[in-house]
Amino acid sequence: MTDRISLTPSRHLKKRYRAEKRFKACCIGALVLAMAFLVLFFTDMIRQGYSAFYETQIRAEVTYNEDTVEFAMDSVSEEVFPLVSRAFFRGVPRQVENNPDLMDTTQTQWLTAKADVDQYLKGHSESLDPEMKASLEQLQADGDVGYGFNTGLFFSGDSKIPSNAGLWSAFVGTFYLMLVVLAISFPIGVATAIYLEEFAPDNRFTQAIEININNLAAVPSILFGLLGLAIFINFFGVPRSSALAGGLTLSLMTLPVIIISTRAALKAVPQNIRQGAQAVGASRWQAVRDHVLPLALPGILTGTIIGIAQAIGETAPLLLIGMIAYIPDAPGNLTDAATVLPAQIFTWAGMPERAYVSLTAAGILVLLSLLIVLNATAVILRNRFERRW
Amino acid sequence: MRTRDLTGDTAEVVRTPTTERSPVRQATKMQVNDLAVWYGETQALHGVSMDVLENEVTALIGPSGCGKSTFLRCLNRMNDLIQDVRIEGEVTFDGDNIYAPHVDVVELRAHIGMVFQKPNPFPKSIYENIAYAPKILGQVRKRTDMDELVEHSLKRAGLWDEVKDRLQAPGLTLSGGQQQRLCIARAIAVNPSVLLMDEPCSALDPVATATVEQLIDELKDNYTIVIVTHNLQQAARVAGYTAFFHLGEIVEFSDTDSLFTHPREKKTEDYITGRYG
Repeated sequence: MTDRISLTPSRHLKKRYRAEKRFKACCIGALVLAMAFLVLFFTDMIRQGYSAFYETQIRAEVTYNEDTVEFAMDSVSEEVFPLVSRAFFRGVPRQVENNPDLMDTTQTQWLTAKADVDQYLKGHSESLDPEMKASLEQLQADGDVGYGFNTGLFFSGDSKIPSNAGLWSAFVGTFYLMLVVLAISFPIGVATAIYLEEFAPDNRFTQAIEININNLAAVPSILFGLLGLAIFINFFGVPRSSALAGGLTLSLMTLPVIIISTRAALKAVPQNIRQGAQAVGASRWQAVRDHVLPLALPGILTGTIIGIAQAIGETAPLLLIGMIAYIPDAPGNLTDAATVLPAQIFTWAGMPERAYVSLTAAGILVLLSLLIVLNATAVILRNRFERRW
Repeated sequence: MRTRDLTGDTAEVVRTPTTERSPVRQATKMQVNDLAVWYGETQALHGVSMDVLENEVTALIGPSGCGKSTFLRCLNRMNDLIQDVRIEGEVTFDGDNIYAPHVDVVELRAHIGMVFQKPNPFPKSIYENIAYAPKILGQVRKRTDMDELVEHSLKRAGLWDEVKDRLQAPGLTLSGGQQQRLCIARAIAVNPSVLLMDEPCSALDPVATATVEQLIDELKDNYTIVIVTHNLQQAARVAGYTAFFHLGEIVEFSDTDSLFTHPREKKTEDYITGRYG
């Protein structure tokens, strides 16, 4: 009488399945493409940058005496001299000053090689002065050429001598900058968000503020640089190039990020927690302080870390306040001239010597690692402490 | 005009419960006079008047959206927290108008406790849940006194035996019924004189509901309780007096027995027999 119901897929259903498969393939394709770009970027950076993490060293007899303190170039033999980084010779008087026992002795030391030699041995450049090549080959035959970890990359400041250039001054500058950004944008941002979310009435005025804060997060960062230059440096007289000026400027950028994420975190705390607290006689502020804030804290911290990470990677506004500059010495306080990691990378990228290419890539790798660590902390915080309702 | 007549009329009829139960008039704890509430443009309560008798359980029943929760939340000014709310009329607590300018809401809520529909323990330990309010209100200062108060409150709420070994465990690890009793314990810890309950059992299973109902019955000796419920049997079981709300007005208010057995109003009868709502 009636047709048996068939459980094999009908033509229409098969069509739906095909559409589903196409859609899935598109999504996977997009993911693969994105991953490919990422892998390409990282392999390129690592390929270019890894060689900056080690350096060529030359074993030589170093003579310390009154003459060599005066004329450091005499402290090593004539063959070795052209191969060794000039930074070493500059440091000879200081070595003796720090360690008087060295005076009138001869030490066998591994010395950082000149960038030309380093690049030649790493295969980055073909050309080397024939005389230097000859003495280098002699040294290699004697086993006096080796490789060591490039501690200078992390522990010395910027330098016009590529073999001596490092990230230390940029590290310190970044650290000071982070301190300033944190000290300013965290309390102001969190307090603003608490007021807007928990206390402010919902009217035209607060809505206008809200729209403005959201817009602020989307303002091109170079404009913040202009603002920082006009207000902090020209009007308030904050020293140019200082971590304080940079931190104040970047705080303007970080503030909206922190406000928005704090508001989101506060919004996620269910209303009945506030009502429960107020129903037992807590004031509005007590309810927020004792119950809402502790629950919102992981979200607030996550937002803050992301905001700070953004500030660390920012370069454009710093152009205008003079932080993209040649700063060989680490700043000693907030008002000293300072530079930061991305600015250091930018500076190196513009240098003509071949050695700076790998330094640039190495700087990028270090900055990226720092950002990955920060963002991973944010993710871990969120996953560990986030409460689901 | 029509509304005014209607409210004036009903107000006269139901301002105090009609009762055949006891000739002795009990003391009035709270008195609501001509209470009207607007949420923005929408009027939720149309001039409601009602007496809440001391040491009694008063149940508020009625279909969804009839204004019973709004009414309840006016009794401890919880509605103040909502934006665009407009409240007119008078609510007295021991003779004082709680909407008078000199009244402080925080102070008021310490005297009129509230238990919510969904259990909402603080995300802190069981102990902290109880101790929080007495601490911020400055009622208890010494640690030993606090221990005693926590124990006493949990015992009153019938939760002590279940949690006495894990007072430091988070309140949210308890079951739904236990959480609700924790919220009741939390509310009575500050020793309020009135306890408002907004559908306290709607999220609980029958066993937990029975426990909470038994608790309400025990608490009424010391507290005046107003309870909103969708469960008519529950109203019949726990309440001495019941008010039937409909479209923002009180249709009928009398002692529970007569409301359920001989409703005077046709609407009430329709509602309790399930023909309406």
